[in-house]
Amino acid sequence: MNSAYIGKLMELAEKDHDVLHLLADSGTGYDEMFQKNFPDQIFNFGIGEENMVAAAAGMASVGKKPFVFTAGAFLAYRSLEFIRDDVCFQNLNVKIIGMGSGLSWSSLGPTHHTTEDLAILRAIPNLMILSPATPRQVSACVQAAYEHNGPVYIRIGMNHEKEFFDENYQYDLRINDKLKAGKDIAVYVTGSILEETYKACEMLEEDGIGVSLINVSAIKPFNKQDVLNTAQNIKNIVTVEEHNVYGGLAGIISEVISFNGIAARVIPIGIEDVFAKGYGSQAVVRRANKLDSVSIYQKIRKALRNE
Amino acid sequence: MDAELEEKKLLALRKKIFLTGYKGGMAHLASCFSCLEMLYSLYMMDILRLDPSNPKWKDRDRFILSKGHAGLALYCVLQSAGLISEEEISSYLQENSLIGGEPCMRDCEWIEATTGSLGHGLSMGLGIAMALKMNNSPAKVYVMLGDGELEEGTVWEAILMAPSFGLSNLIAILDCNKIQKMDFVENTIGSPGWADKWESFGWHVEEVDGHDPQAFKEVVMNSQGHNKPRLIIADTVKGKGVSIMENNPNWHFKLPGRKELKVFKEELGITDSELE
Repeated sequence: MNSAYIGKLMELAEKDHDVLHLLADSGTGYDEMFQKNFPDQIFNFGIGEENMVAAAAGMASVGKKPFVFTAGAFLAYRSLEFIRDDVCFQNLNVKIIGMGSGLSWSSLGPTHHTTEDLAILRAIPNLMILSPATPRQVSACVQAAYEHNGPVYIRIGMNHEKEFFDENYQYDLRINDKLKAGKDIAVYVTGSILEETYKACEMLEEDGIGVSLINVSAIKPFNKQDVLNTAQNIKNIVTVEEHNVYGGLAGIISEVISFNGIAARVIPIGIEDVFAKGYGSQAVVRRANKLDSVSIYQKIRKALRNE
Repeated sequence: MDAELEEKKLLALRKKIFLTGYKGGMAHLASCFSCLEMLYSLYMMDILRLDPSNPKWKDRDRFILSKGHAGLALYCVLQSAGLISEEEISSYLQENSLIGGEPCMRDCEWIEATTGSLGHGLSMGLGIAMALKMNNSPAKVYVMLGDGELEEGTVWEAILMAPSFGLSNLIAILDCNKIQKMDFVENTIGSPGWADKWESFGWHVEEVDGHDPQAFKEVVMNSQGHNKPRLIIADTVKGKGVSIMENNPNWHFKLPGRKELKVFKEELGITDSELE
């Protein structure tokens, strides 16, 4: 996803010289290319994320459009107060790109996992939150963030996520992507766990269960109406996220359902309020934390049996 | 302006800060009084290049009060400089007021950065200085910090990075009153040696009496031409101007009781009717 990100950022930087690429000593892998093409639009702040985020707010107050990029954990957790006070409270045009969503940094352990960022950042006013699932969607989300004059957080994966959308994909952050349209259960998913979830849905279909699979990239603002429409006909709503089951996608959808007095059941699948265990590739750590396709399938089957 | 007139203006400002804070029911008076002369010098003695008719003039100098708890002093000086109204100041801390306890960009167009949580202002100022430099703007960025505030780690990230970004348009002003909320700075972190520390990080450092607005102006203005970011260490007295408050850590966030009020009235020349 990093290449999709930097590709889109370079496209924007070429058209608009106020677009800036800010780093904190943790790059995209393609920064030399950016440096070569736009040497006046890239700054490495060294290992100091708080200073970078606050400085980005200062730059935005002069009309610049800084895109701040580093590991999501170091932004959402370490820089939280600077995101809140300097960027969001002042409603400044800063884009915060958290690389390595969920368990992407698998072997580096929970200090590098970003499994509570949606819960934490979702509570901050003025902040748009995007959680793309595929490279094409990363590119579309960066474009949407650029077009939005205000703070945006984008959480992106980093491990060669599979593409689910063709070249004609038209992104509209007001609309969720419906990838399957079965009638028995609805599965809402966000971020790069889409691939595992898609496979789990195929297993359910093999069992004769009709699945609606809905990919959510706009966490905030959230398309409430889509959930309300779904819940009119489908009473089992599964959420899948590479994130704590508290405060993220499960939280959002539960809020929509309860705030609107809808009778539906939410089946939350995610990190179950623990720091993730295990080391290895992202696939291995997902499996260790029951977020691989088979575990997702089994959890849904179990929940349906317990209706 | 002669020194006597300046003294009168500063006394009137101290009185205004006190009365506004006292009537509002909350203020960091001692912090306000330690930096007042410098705020006066910046806004009233033509250090800052501003356009009173256009708060968002792109080439204006920026001032950030990183020690936001002295916001009442800043607001009073902004009023004295004719940039905000008497009516606005009088509404301090009232329900629908736009003048709160800390400087807030949302509430006042002359505030360049919302502060209150310490350790944010220098980094925001650094970003502004970078952006102005990119724009080839002649504007300068002034950031006032407290010496206790320098205990915040993020400040040192900014101190470390500013020289490497070549920010000669960034001027930090240290209101060095030697007292933080609970105690003297020295009792908290030992002898700080700020000048050596900042110099070793690549800053040009100068020292001045922070209660002498003319001397302060001379240091600020005569230091032009350095190609490094600059720190001006201002030697100040916390609570300056009221004897019982001066250099006394108990006064960080406190309003006078009945007996103490008598001293404030005498030393700031406040009448009973002004207190009503």
